[in-house]
Amino acid sequence: MKVRKAVITAGSPDQRNLPLQTLIDGDGTEKTVLQILVEEALRANVEEVAIIVQPGDETTFSKVVPEHAHRLRFIPQEEPRGYGHALSLGREFVGDESFLHLVGDHLYVSSGKRGCAEHLVRTAEEQGCAVSAVQATRENLLPYFGTVGGRCHAGHQDLYEIDTVLEKPTPTLAEQELIVPGIRAGHYLCFFGMHVLTPMVLELLTEKLEEPDTRPTLSEALNQLAQREKYLALVMQDNRYDVGIKYGLLTAQLDVALNGQDRDEVLNRMLTLLAQRESR
Amino acid sequence: MSELIDILLGDSADTRNRPLEDFCDTADVGSLLAECAELDRFRREHANLYERVRALFFLHAIHRFHLPSKESFETAGSIPFQGHESLLERRYGEAIDAFLLTQDRQGPNAVISSALAEAYHRLAFQTLANQVRRSVRSVRGNQWMFRVGHSADHPLRIQPRLLKKDLSTGLFPIIAETTAVRMDLTHSAWSDIFFLGMDYPAGARVLNISIDLCVHGTGEPRPPVEAYVRVIDEPILRLCSVDLETSAEIQSIGEVFDFAKDYLGLLKAAVIASGIIPPGIESSRQTLEELLARIAGPDRGIEVVSKVNNIPKGSRLAVSTNLLGCLVSACMRATGQVGSLEGPLDENERRIVASRAILGEWIGGSGGGWQDSGGVWPGIKLIEGVEANKDDPEYGVSKGRLLPRHHIFPTEEIPPGSRRKLEESLVLVHGGMAQDVGPILEMVTEKYLLRSASEWKARQDAIRLLDQMIAALKQGNIEQVGRLTQQNFDGPLKAIIPWATNEYTEAIIEQVDEEFGNDFWGFWMLGGMAGGGMGFLFAPWKRLEAQKRLGEILQANKTRLESALPFAMDPVTYEFSINENGTSATLRNGSDALLPTSYYQTTLPKLLRQENHKLTPTRQSELDQVRKASLSNIELAQALIDKSQSAKNTSSNVTQRSLDQALGSNGFDPAQHEQIRADIKAGRIGLAQNRLPPNTLIQDVPLEELINATEATEQLPKEWEQAGQEALTSGKVAVVTLAGGAGSRWTRGAGVVKALHPFAQFGGRHRNFLEVHLAKTLRSSNLSGTDIPHVATTSYLTQKPIETWLQESESTLHLSPGRYVGLRTVPTIRDLRFHWEETPQQILDEQAQKMQESLRGALLDWARNTGEGTDYRDNLPLQCMHPVGHWYEIPNLLRNGVLARLLDEHPDLEYLLVHNIDTLGTDLSPSLLGAHILSGNDLTFEVIRRNLEDRGGGLAKINGQNRIIEGLAMPHEECEFDLSWYNTLTNWVSISGLLRFFQLEKTDLSNEDRVALAIRKASDRMPTYVTLKDVKKRWGRGQEDIFPVAQFEKLWGDMSALSGIHCGYLSVPRMRGQQLKEPAQLDGWLRDGSAAFVDSLCKW
Repeated sequence: MKVRKAVITAGSPDQRNLPLQTLIDGDGTEKTVLQILVEEALRANVEEVAIIVQPGDETTFSKVVPEHAHRLRFIPQEEPRGYGHALSLGREFVGDESFLHLVGDHLYVSSGKRGCAEHLVRTAEEQGCAVSAVQATRENLLPYFGTVGGRCHAGHQDLYEIDTVLEKPTPTLAEQELIVPGIRAGHYLCFFGMHVLTPMVLELLTEKLEEPDTRPTLSEALNQLAQREKYLALVMQDNRYDVGIKYGLLTAQLDVALNGQDRDEVLNRMLTLLAQRESR
Repeated sequence: MSELIDILLGDSADTRNRPLEDFCDTADVGSLLAECAELDRFRREHANLYERVRALFFLHAIHRFHLPSKESFETAGSIPFQGHESLLERRYGEAIDAFLLTQDRQGPNAVISSALAEAYHRLAFQTLANQVRRSVRSVRGNQWMFRVGHSADHPLRIQPRLLKKDLSTGLFPIIAETTAVRMDLTHSAWSDIFFLGMDYPAGARVLNISIDLCVHGTGEPRPPVEAYVRVIDEPILRLCSVDLETSAEIQSIGEVFDFAKDYLGLLKAAVIASGIIPPGIESSRQTLEELLARIAGPDRGIEVVSKVNNIPKGSRLAVSTNLLGCLVSACMRATGQVGSLEGPLDENERRIVASRAILGEWIGGSGGGWQDSGGVWPGIKLIEGVEANKDDPEYGVSKGRLLPRHHIFPTEEIPPGSRRKLEESLVLVHGGMAQDVGPILEMVTEKYLLRSASEWKARQDAIRLLDQMIAALKQGNIEQVGRLTQQNFDGPLKAIIPWATNEYTEAIIEQVDEEFGNDFWGFWMLGGMAGGGMGFLFAPWKRLEAQKRLGEILQANKTRLESALPFAMDPVTYEFSINENGTSATLRNGSDALLPTSYYQTTLPKLLRQENHKLTPTRQSELDQVRKASLSNIELAQALIDKSQSAKNTSSNVTQRSLDQALGSNGFDPAQHEQIRADIKAGRIGLAQNRLPPNTLIQDVPLEELINATEATEQLPKEWEQAGQEALTSGKVAVVTLAGGAGSRWTRGAGVVKALHPFAQFGGRHRNFLEVHLAKTLRSSNLSGTDIPHVATTSYLTQKPIETWLQESESTLHLSPGRYVGLRTVPTIRDLRFHWEETPQQILDEQAQKMQESLRGALLDWARNTGEGTDYRDNLPLQCMHPVGHWYEIPNLLRNGVLARLLDEHPDLEYLLVHNIDTLGTDLSPSLLGAHILSGNDLTFEVIRRNLEDRGGGLAKINGQNRIIEGLAMPHEECEFDLSWYNTLTNWVSISGLLRFFQLEKTDLSNEDRVALAIRKASDRMPTYVTLKDVKKRWGRGQEDIFPVAQFEKLWGDMSALSGIHCGYLSVPRMRGQQLKEPAQLDGWLRDGSAAFVDSLCKW
């Protein structure tokens, strides 16, 4: 299996400006969120990236990633039918290949040299199946994430075979269905916002979309996928930030900066700021 | 290896199921004690919980029944106070260690065995209860709730649909949940007790049916319980129970966990168990507002409403568990823990709702069986225990899982025709009796673990009957179902627990059987015991007639027995139908988003009194919608008007008038009452003042200073027997049974006559206490060839019922009506605190203790607000008055002319045998009478060796003088534990000495004034004790509250402290002197041979 393509969803009507937010990347240059995401995908040896956008956003978005414009393809989401629908629009672009999927309102900060997407794509290529990046997450955050249940994948400490995927489960259901061995009590494997998926997922989503007025979630399709083919979860030790929530962008910026070349300068500024506040 | 440990660890079922008595009946004291040592070591070291518990029950049974029954076993001993304290504080392990140490020092004896038996018994139940609680917490889906300790950790959110107000009405949607209740067709010998299901899953099976219900004549059956949940625009938790007409606006997390503060404990338990306010957040110092903001949004709150559709409490249909299930289900829907906001639940959801209901019951300090939430499931189902496998939290701890498996019978298995036939044959009733099934469930557990031969066989029979019933149901053979339920009741159920039935039930069955013959197919006991919820199966063509007649038969028997047995309400008959939905919900939107009419009956008057601008916008919209709805719905308008009218009527004045009349006609002395009330208020008398000064020297009385009559009769001195026999033959003796008391421990303040309680079967039928005493006198009369007079002293509470019973039973008995009565008072805070804090109290388990502390807070508020030391008048007249202690019962004989009459009729009369109503083993023993005569005493008190349960005073040497001391006069609690002798209250009285004490001659007895003056003078010499008694106040439909109220007493034993009367003391065997104080003692009393001993003294 070779992952050559990526799909980024950025079509949510209330978050259409998020990919355009700017921050200073680890190399000290100013970039938009979208630019960082595209580069994250390209670092993983992806060759082409489709971005699902609101109709009319194509030009604006293409302007913020001029250096990679030749690799980008914008797909407008004409109907407001949710996230699952947005992803399904990548079906033609993807064809019969497995693909990397990132969400447009998240930033991924790797603590190592290898990017998060690169790590995920390598694992998927090695395993030859769909792999979702997950992170052990406290149960009080369950209302925000898709969550997986499964069992250890023999011979791999950070891989799990997924049995069940539930979208934003209650802790009651999570405790019954999604307990995973080796994870701390009160913690569950929640999606990291990054997946390598097989074309089957898009097929499943499309099937569901045939019913009028439905808004299928990706989690539903992934739950079905787990019943049909091998599907793994890769536990990431890195950080991901939802830039759409309060202080999400700020926190992401700090983490990026503290992992980048300007680490000392940023630390210095933070300490000065704190010292000044305290001495007032 | 020990033979008994072989039974515990046996490989084969035959070995494990070997009855304990197989070994113990033939073993001598030495081998029993050796086994006890082995078992105690085993229970400390062995890992398996259930084998440990069984060892504890073995130890209990050996110490309680087998060792004391051995003739060579020592009877004298003492109990260390430190062990008793540990028992009260639930530190049972320490108590056992203290008792064993004493046993080593003193040598084994019956006294220390009584303490060990109790401690092992309690430790066994504590171990089992803790295990069930741990399992409830560890059920997957429940665990997270114990981890949430901060609002920010709360993982639940109210479903978005519930947060959207309807634009046209301004109302939030409402989840309306309805749930069936359950009836248990087979009973299966209480196999739904958690402990049984977890230890013997294969034997835990019940056939459980979900039903809709209504009281006959009030419409069509419908789901009996309802719950409503909605969002409100105030950051509070609003709870309302419309049937109890109570609501509360809760503003802090602490209040949610304060269960006994109001009548909303069940709703609070549901809110907690459903995870809205998770149990882990208790005492976290979080604000309720923050927590609600987290789950419902800023400035939002939640309202939860419960409604029971006219089903009385104690129906044995698990109404409260299913209401809890209903509330939990609605709350779980609201927070997305149940997939859908509407419709029935799926199997997984039902199971989690049931486990949360069990959790809620535990949190609320109560507990039912595992089948009780059966109403959450639809239709007819077989509920069975399940073996724990390695994925279950119970694995390795118990054989079975906490939660059973439910097999819902599809219509292919039990066709609609069979279901219809069952509906057409069964008459469901509530007999009206108030019952406490707790002791019965403990007895069942104990007997199961001991594998007593007859009971173990009965359990196997019950399991077989279940299979036959399922087969009969499948075939639609309801007649056979009826025959089998009757067989189950007559056979296994009565064999395991004879106390499951009572005279009331037996009389009804007998009359129905007589009247309907072959058309009466069978009786069916619902729940833990008979007398409350019951079923009668008839041929369908007779059902309507039978339903009408049954109502009449129940009412007639209730009227006949209501003074003898505790009834909470009048009997009712129900209409029912099988509910095929279980629990189910609808979502009310727009103008339909209103709560039931009874909700507005409860809340509207208060809302209307508030100024409009103080109401939240949603409340204003709601009032507007109710107004609109009442314009088009005449029934709603009528109901609201009726309610406001009825609130204006009150029956309080009528009650007050009849109380004053009752006081007037029962010898109430207002001047004395005024004095006592003033003394109580001023602190001159009170619980603390009951006690003797702390420097009082209290010593045990050595056996040599008593007349020793503990030997078997034939070994007592012949001259005693001779003197006694001569007195009996020559008509010198009469019996006086003290039957004026309220028997408050027997009925927990229900106000029925203990003397008339048909508590056990003798001579083929249920007999009451008086009948037993009369039967003993009859036997003595026959043996001595004389007609021995028998007197029962009565009080305002017992006179009339005993008189009526006498007329019906045609027994020969003289009644000595009470001539003194007191009026109860609201206790002082000082006395309440003294009672709870200064006297050792039984600590309850963690949750029950929380409940009790909360209840005590509420009672202190009640006393403060009602007025400390004021008259207690807020109850039925008979519950406001009190008997003034048994001291007055003997002077009454003088004052009411009964003694004078007896002396007229029996001029040779010289002696009285005076005894309490519950001392069943007392009789006119010629030897003991002779001992009294030959001693020359005026009064001879009978005492027994004190066992653990014998509390409340006894014989002591007080500052050098032997006398009876009451428990409440002990300067310190521990003093009692140094005393070997317990006062049975049985005493022999020489009439001449008695009259001399009162400074009266026989001829004075006809002079009323002289007698009254003599009694007043004597009464002034007697100490007055203030005591607290629990009094029940009944309200609503079978609801009961218990209040501690103050009253005063003068006690007969204090005669022994006075000069001018010569007292002596006889030590008698335990079987003669022991008292039956609580129904929970009955089973032990039957098993240890006491019942047979009493029977041997009687002539029926």
